[in-house]
Amino acid sequence: MAGYVDPLVVGRVIGDVVDLFVPTISMTVRFGSKHVNNGCEIKPSMASDPPSVQIAGRLSDLYTLVMTDPDAPSPSEPLMRECLQWIVINMPGGTDPSQGEEVVPYMPPRPPVGIHRYVLVLFQQKSRLQDVIPPLSRANFKTRSFAAQNELGLPVATVYFNSQKEPASRRR
Amino acid sequence: MASSSLSPWSMATLRAALPPSPSLRLSAVGYPAPSHFPSSARLSSVRGRTMPLRSFSGLAPMIPLLSLGTGDANFGQVFSNINNGSKYYAMRHGKRVPKLNRPPDQRKALLRGLTTQLLKYGRIKTTRARASAMRKYIDKMITLAKDGSLHKRRQALGFIYEKQIVHALFAEVQDRYGDRNGGYTRIIRTLPRRGDNAPMAYIELV
Repeated sequence: MAGYVDPLVVGRVIGDVVDLFVPTISMTVRFGSKHVNNGCEIKPSMASDPPSVQIAGRLSDLYTLVMTDPDAPSPSEPLMRECLQWIVINMPGGTDPSQGEEVVPYMPPRPPVGIHRYVLVLFQQKSRLQDVIPPLSRANFKTRSFAAQNELGLPVATVYFNSQKEPASRRR
Repeated sequence: MASSSLSPWSMATLRAALPPSPSLRLSAVGYPAPSHFPSSARLSSVRGRTMPLRSFSGLAPMIPLLSLGTGDANFGQVFSNINNGSKYYAMRHGKRVPKLNRPPDQRKALLRGLTTQLLKYGRIKTTRARASAMRKYIDKMITLAKDGSLHKRRQALGFIYEKQIVHALFAEVQDRYGDRNGGYTRIIRTLPRRGDNAPMAYIELV
């Protein structure tokens, strides 16, 4: 295959959730011991607690982390695109979300139908954000408009994983 | 079987023993339905000259006789005496139908099931071979839905296993794929399956 296509473009994360950007900050996301790569499969039972996110960057910079599900309620009919899972603001660089303010509490992935993508987007803030009102409902959230409202600009890092409903009965 | 006891052969004696040259023999071989034979004029002219027809061996390979009779090289193993215009190859050259390691009825059922599930769930994870074999059928179903007439709806109902999916597809396809011309699916390759290292892929509706 000629050329390397960014997995974010292949998985249509760039396009559905964010616009084309240049990643400048490295971000590692882990659910327990499982490291999240673009497009890897994470079970909802593993993702019931917030992931441990480690970001690079200077301590003086502040970052915002947004986690959404662009395939709600079903990938073939994403009427509620996007479903908001988590927002953390005012995170200093080089730390993790526990050092920031959680505007929207973490909601673990609960995909009802099909295989959903869950996208974690990191923005760099220009200044400390005050009085960020949490959206009224988690459904029909738009990451782009949230970024525009708070003057966040283009993302600096993005990662996504897939998740599907676990079968109720134990797999033999 | 000692060959020394036989008298020495020569090409001349062999050729005399055989029926006349292969090109003529082609037309002289008895076909089950001689009325379908196109060049009946040639047949009638040859018939008077050649010996009476041997036992029917119309579909036997011509190659051994060809190689004896003429010195030309034969290119590939082509049965050129099946005279309906087709060619039958012993190899798979040029055949583009994916067989998916299944007999044809099972293959059709597998593809019907996969397209039903993809239209129901929007994104499924299967092996790469199945995902790329499915694309044709998904595009066909969406094209039927885009047309929207009753006949096309019934054709779709004959293929997809669940009728609610067909009705939902016919209802929503205009807004979703009205502008798009073809290419209604996307395949994203992923890590291989643990049990048998089969290459996996996500296939999703664009």
